[in-house]
Amino acid sequence: MILLMPLLIALLGAFVVLGFRNPRVATRAALLTGGLEIASLVVVVWQVHERGALQVGRYLRADGLSSFFLINIAFISGLVLVYASGYLRHTGEGRFSSPRWFYALVFWFLFTMISVCLSANLGLLWIMMEGTTLASALLVGFYNTEGAVEAGWKYLMVCTVGIAFALFGTIVLYLAAVKAGMNPAAALDWVSLMDAAPRMGLDPHLVKLAFVFVIVGYGTKIGFVPMHSWLPDAHAEAPTPISALLSAVLLNCAMYAVMRYDAIVSHATGSAFPHTLLLIFGVISMVVAGLLILVQRNLKRLMAYSSVEHMGIIAIGLGLGGPLGLFGALLHTFNHSVAKSLLFFSAGNVRHNFGTLRMDSISGMSRTMPQTSAALVVGGLAIVGLPPFSLFISEFAILSEAFTQARYFVVTLFLVILSVVFGGFAYHFLRLLGGEPNSVPPSSKLIPSEYSVMGIAALCLICFGARVPHLFSVLVQEAMAVLR
Amino acid sequence: MGLVEIATGKVLSSFSVFLFLTILLMVVARRISTSVLLFSVQSAIIAAEVFATGFRERLAEAYVVGALVLVIKVVFIPRAFFRLVDRLKTPRDVKASTTPTQSVFIAAALIYLSYAAVHSYGQSVHVPEDALAASVALILTGAFLMVSRNKALMQMLGLLVLENGIFLAALTTTFGMPLVIEIGVFFDVLMGLLLMGIFTFRIRDTFDHLDVSKLRRLRG
Repeated sequence: MILLMPLLIALLGAFVVLGFRNPRVATRAALLTGGLEIASLVVVVWQVHERGALQVGRYLRADGLSSFFLINIAFISGLVLVYASGYLRHTGEGRFSSPRWFYALVFWFLFTMISVCLSANLGLLWIMMEGTTLASALLVGFYNTEGAVEAGWKYLMVCTVGIAFALFGTIVLYLAAVKAGMNPAAALDWVSLMDAAPRMGLDPHLVKLAFVFVIVGYGTKIGFVPMHSWLPDAHAEAPTPISALLSAVLLNCAMYAVMRYDAIVSHATGSAFPHTLLLIFGVISMVVAGLLILVQRNLKRLMAYSSVEHMGIIAIGLGLGGPLGLFGALLHTFNHSVAKSLLFFSAGNVRHNFGTLRMDSISGMSRTMPQTSAALVVGGLAIVGLPPFSLFISEFAILSEAFTQARYFVVTLFLVILSVVFGGFAYHFLRLLGGEPNSVPPSSKLIPSEYSVMGIAALCLICFGARVPHLFSVLVQEAMAVLR
Repeated sequence: MGLVEIATGKVLSSFSVFLFLTILLMVVARRISTSVLLFSVQSAIIAAEVFATGFRERLAEAYVVGALVLVIKVVFIPRAFFRLVDRLKTPRDVKASTTPTQSVFIAAALIYLSYAAVHSYGQSVHVPEDALAASVALILTGAFLMVSRNKALMQMLGLLVLENGIFLAALTTTFGMPLVIEIGVFFDVLMGLLLMGIFTFRIRDTFDHLDVSKLRRLRG
C-alpha cells in the first residue's frame, strides 16, 4: 500500500493540477502535490531501510537500489518544482504550453520515472521507460519555437527507436529465461531472474545478445555516445526546470535499468562481458563529450555534453565493478544530479535576464549578476570534480578502483579528459563572468524560489564533499547489496 | 495430427512470404496512403499468425492479443493515419531519398541479411527460420524507411513497421510475452502515435512543411 502512494499522488495530482486554469492556483496546487509526493517517497525509502524489500502484487517492488534512486527523484523534483514556480511566472496560456499543462506533464513524467524504479517486472520497466519519453516529449517542445519543435520531434523519434531495441533485448532475455526452464509468467520478474541466472548461464549466447540490445536501447536514454544525438538538443530547448529534470533524474533512471540488467547478466555469464561493454560505452562517451565541451557556444548545450561525460564516468564506475567502483558510480549519480541542477538553475537565470544562452554574447556577468555568477562558479567547480565538492569523492572512488585493478589505460584517459573538461569549463566561464559587462540585465536580484533551491543544492554539494552523511552511505551500501 | 493442425502449420510458414511481399511493396510505394494500406495488410497477416499460434499452442491469451492487433493495428491506426493525412493537407508523396529501384534492391539485401543473421540462432532456439527472418527483416526495413523517407508521417510508419517486427519476434520465439505486458506495449505505441501526431501539426505550423530532413537548425 505504501508503494502505491507515490504513484497515485503523482498520477492523480497531475489531473488535479490540470483542473486549475488560474496559473497561480495551479502553481500552489503543484507545490502541494509535490510536497505530498516527496513525503510519500521518503516514507517508502524509510520503510525499505527499516524492513527490507517491499512487494505489492506481482509488479511492484522496492528494494535498496530502488529506494536509492527514489531519494534522487524526491530531492531533485522538490528543487525543480520550487524553481519552476518562479521560472514560469511569465509563461502565457497556450495549448499544452500553459503552467497547468507544465505541472501536469511534470507529474506524469515523475509518475513514469518512479514506476521505473518500482517495477518488479522487466516488461513493466520497459513500458514505463517508454512512458518517460512520452511524458516528457511535450515538455521538451514546451516553448513551441522552431528549435523546440525540432528538438521534441528528434527526442521522440530517437528515443522511441532506441527503446524499441531495449524491448527486443527484453524479449531475448525472456526467451533465454523460458528456455532455462522458468515459468513463462515469472520469467520477467527481476527477483526470480536473479535466482535463475546461473541456469541461464548454461546458454550464454542469448543472454549476451539480450544485454547488447538492452545497453544500446537504454543507453540511448542515458545518452551514451553515439546514441546521444537527442540529448543536447532536448536539454538546450526544453524549459530550464525540465532540462534539470532530464539531466538529473531521467538519465539516472535509465542508468538504473542498465544496472538491473547488468546484475542479471553478470550472474548468468560472469561479469567480464557486460562490464567490458559498459567500460567501452563509458570511455567513448567520456572522451567524445569531453572534447565537444570545448567547442560549445550555448550554455545549456555545454551542460548537456557535461551530462553525457558524467554518464560516461558512471558507466566506467559500473564497468570496473568492485566495491569502490560501484560505490563511486552510485554516489556519482546523486552528486552529478545535484551539481547539474544547480548549473541548470543558474543557466535559467541567465536566459531570463539576457534573453539568450549564447556564451559569446554575454560577458562581465560577475558584476551584473553576482549571485547567479557565484552559483555558476560553485556548480562549475563541483562539476569538474574539484575538492571540496562532493563529485571529487565519487570520482576519486572510481579512480582508485581503476588503480586497484591496474587499469592504467582507463586511469590515464580518465585523468586526461577530466583536465580537458576542467580547461573547457574554465575557458567558457572566465569569458562569461570576467571582462567588461556588455549589457545590463533588467533584474539582477534572485527571487526567493531561485536562491533557496540554489542555496540548498550548493550546500548539499559542500556537505557531501566534506563527508558523506552516515545514513546516506548506509543507503548506498543497501543499494550495493542488491546488485551483489 | 488433424487436417486443421497441418493447415495451421503450413499457414504459419507461408506467412513469411506474404510479409516479405509487403516489405518489398512498401519500399516502392510512392504515396503515403498506399504505404498505410500496406501496413494494414501486414498487420492483418501478423494478426492471423497470432490466431494460428494460439490455435496450435492452445493459448487463450493469444486470442486476446490477436483481437487487439486486429482492432488497433489493422483498423484503428490506419484510419487515424488517413485522417491525419486529410487534416494536415500536405502533398501526399512519401518524399523518398532513394529511387524505387534502389529501394527494392536495398530491401532485398535486408531480407538476405536477416536470413544470414538468424541462421545461427534459428537452430538453437527451435523456431521456424522463415518467421524469425521475417521479423528481423521487418525491423531492418522499418529502420530503412525511417532514414530514407523525409516525411514525418513516413517516419512514424517506419517506426510501426519496426514495432511489428519486434512483436513478430516475440511471437515466433516465445509465443508472445505475458498478456499484461503486451497490453502495456500496445498502450505505449498508441500514446506514442498520438504524441507524434501532435508534433506533426506543430512541425507543419512552425515550418509550413512536413519534411523533417529540413529540420537542421540544431547542430553540434
